[in-house]
Amino acid sequence: MADEGGTWASVKENWRVVLLVVIVLASVFALFSPTTAPSTNTPGSTANGTAADTGMTNLQYGLELSGGTRIQAPLVGVHATGVDVPEGTETATLRSEVAAGLENASAQDVAVRYPGEYGDTVQQTTVVEVRTENVTAAQLETALNEAGYEADDTYNRVSDITQQTAVTVLRQKVNEAGLSGGTVRVVGGDVIVVEVPNANQTAVRDLIESRGQVLIQAYHQNENGTYVRTTVMDSEDLRQVGNARQIEGGQGAEVGVVVRDDAAEDVQQRFVDTGLAQEGGTDRCDPENPNESAPCLFLVQDGQVVRSFGVDEGLARPMRNGEWADDPQYRLTTGNLSTAQEVAINLRAGALPTELDLDQNSMLYVDPSQSDRFKTDSLIAGIAAVLAVSGVVFARYRRVEVAGPMIVTALSEVVILMGAAAAIGYPIDLSVIAGFVAAIGTGVDDLIIIADEVMSEGEVTSQRVFQSRFRKAFWVIGAAAATTISRCRRWRCSRSASSAGSRSSPSSACSSGCW
Amino acid sequence: MPSVDLPFGLPEVDYAEYSNRQLVAVPLAVLAVALLIIGGVWLTTGAPVDPGMEFTGGTEMRLQVDGPNAEQQIREAFTAEPAGIQPVAGSDIYIVSFGTEANSEQLESQAEDAGFGVESIDSTSPSFGSEAQTQAIGGIAVAFAGMSVLVFAMFRTFVPSIAVVVSAFSDVVVPLALMNVLGIQLTLGSVAALLMIIGYSVDSDILLNNHVLRRQGSFYESAYRAMETGITMTLTSIAAMIVMTIVATAFGIGLLSSIGLILVFGLATDLLNTYMLNMSLLRWWKFEGVNR
Repeated sequence: MADEGGTWASVKENWRVVLLVVIVLASVFALFSPTTAPSTNTPGSTANGTAADTGMTNLQYGLELSGGTRIQAPLVGVHATGVDVPEGTETATLRSEVAAGLENASAQDVAVRYPGEYGDTVQQTTVVEVRTENVTAAQLETALNEAGYEADDTYNRVSDITQQTAVTVLRQKVNEAGLSGGTVRVVGGDVIVVEVPNANQTAVRDLIESRGQVLIQAYHQNENGTYVRTTVMDSEDLRQVGNARQIEGGQGAEVGVVVRDDAAEDVQQRFVDTGLAQEGGTDRCDPENPNESAPCLFLVQDGQVVRSFGVDEGLARPMRNGEWADDPQYRLTTGNLSTAQEVAINLRAGALPTELDLDQNSMLYVDPSQSDRFKTDSLIAGIAAVLAVSGVVFARYRRVEVAGPMIVTALSEVVILMGAAAAIGYPIDLSVIAGFVAAIGTGVDDLIIIADEVMSEGEVTSQRVFQSRFRKAFWVIGAAAATTISRCRRWRCSRSASSAGSRSSPSSACSSGCW
Repeated sequence: MPSVDLPFGLPEVDYAEYSNRQLVAVPLAVLAVALLIIGGVWLTTGAPVDPGMEFTGGTEMRLQVDGPNAEQQIREAFTAEPAGIQPVAGSDIYIVSFGTEANSEQLESQAEDAGFGVESIDSTSPSFGSEAQTQAIGGIAVAFAGMSVLVFAMFRTFVPSIAVVVSAFSDVVVPLALMNVLGIQLTLGSVAALLMIIGYSVDSDILLNNHVLRRQGSFYESAYRAMETGITMTLTSIAAMIVMTIVATAFGIGLLSSIGLILVFGLATDLLNTYMLNMSLLRWWKFEGVNR
């Protein structure tokens, strides 16, 4: 920006220009320096020069400009808080009583969660949640009242804890699927956004729709004497996966699971048939060398043995005589709490607390070739807009020494914005590009005010006059910018729920449009 | 009269020749017509402006189609009837849109079966979209309220402040009416543009108010000087947005073209409102209102 020296020559100590040059250099460094490059390289195209150029920078691109799939959908379910459940009420009774009052729900769809600590969240009151479609909060309230349980409030969405669990599970699923760079987040309070770069619609849909691949298998000898694995239950057989907890007054930790009523008989039969529920019970075995203590249980995830369990006699006996199926609870015991938590998550990853409502979704898929085209095309649109602005400014002032620096300064603003975006890894999307174009427009506006102020009353003779006019000009700019900022701040708050594009980087607050 | 030349050789308007009533009549008439149009559309359709796919639900796909008669091929490939087929300039890509009845997964497989390259799919279900609509309208309302409060706090005098707020209101309403007249649908891009109009509109109004309220010199001298600067500002933005709209439309980047188009409408309206409505309200206030 050396050519700016000409215009501001009358200013003896032009520290502002120096500051601008320093900031611009820092931004250029953030943009191009390989030392600050992001670890995940953006997939730049080599098909044409322009796109390859943008691939050289450290800019991170959003979905529209990098390709991939984004699915936004709320979770299925409604819930009631502060439900007054009398002491000693069986959970199963409560669930079936509530379900009886709901046309579209069965007892399995009703979940009850008592006050306590769940992950990072403390739940103060009893929550009753119905996790099925076509049930409204009003219907839940009526059903609760009919069953004699008073609720403080009902909401047309799932509870926060359910939502957190779902996000955790989805994150785990996205990661487990080996889809690098995938993110899961919540916007607007209840909409889950799953974003996976370089994946197509079907892959992501399958991933978040599927129930996962967690299996509990028996390792045992078949009739021929060979060791085989037989699945005794998988996450689909489970109705409920409890939270990991320390065994009271004992060693280790455990995860309680409840098998679905309609699957319990089959699961029980498999325990017996595979010899897991034999007299005296079975021990866990060494996954490296399992033959010695087989039969035993394996927790298998995507074909990999994660853990091994045994079945003790206290559980084996009711299984042998068929009582277990009436109350099909099972406890997976582990050495310590963290392992138990891991097991709980592993099991739940296949059993989302509730489904994503894919009937009520918004889906965006952009092919990598299209995103490269978006990059090139929006770059052309941006450059064309810059040329238009330059043309108007030259037509207005007709002097290169006035108009030239104005355009250079406005462009430097865009360089600074891009540098800031690269430095904090803010993803660039089409909406951000529109923001950059707007930044050129508003940036030039401020410069026009300054230029007109400075030139209005003939030649600027002394620095003091210049500075006073300069300050006067800033009052105008400040006032206009303040309204813009207030608009941005409010819009930011209100837009968190909207899917309308993305915000520009924080440093751009006043001039670039703020979304 | 002060001898200030308006930029770009624009003919100089001698405000002294026109009464405030005459000057105010034009922008107010435009605003009234705009409100009538929006009101009429609201009464007949239940929405102030025709909401686009992002708000009502539907699917938009970009398909790469080889061979002749691409439109024919596209119509034959899908069981659902496309609501629109639009070619992208300089490529073999077509933007095909479908109503809410089409399922995006089914559309994708049908496109693949027909041998089209699926470049992008953007699909929204109706219930998801209606929520987005509520939030978008809420966002504009909150932004407008925030701007109004700040303007009143800054000038602390009723007439100049209300002049800014009314101008900004008209700058948002007139583009909405134009959208109805020209049959342009509301998109997330146009909502963003309407928000930006609030900011742009206030810029030139504040400039004018400041020159008139806080400077030495006659009313006309200050006003003409503000006009000189303000018109340049608005025209640079209009030029940038016209060019962006044309390029983005040719390339089929809907977001950029709808932002650009609505901003062009809004900025053009802003010229009218600032230099007729706001100007005459200020003049009335300066010469008559102050003494009351």
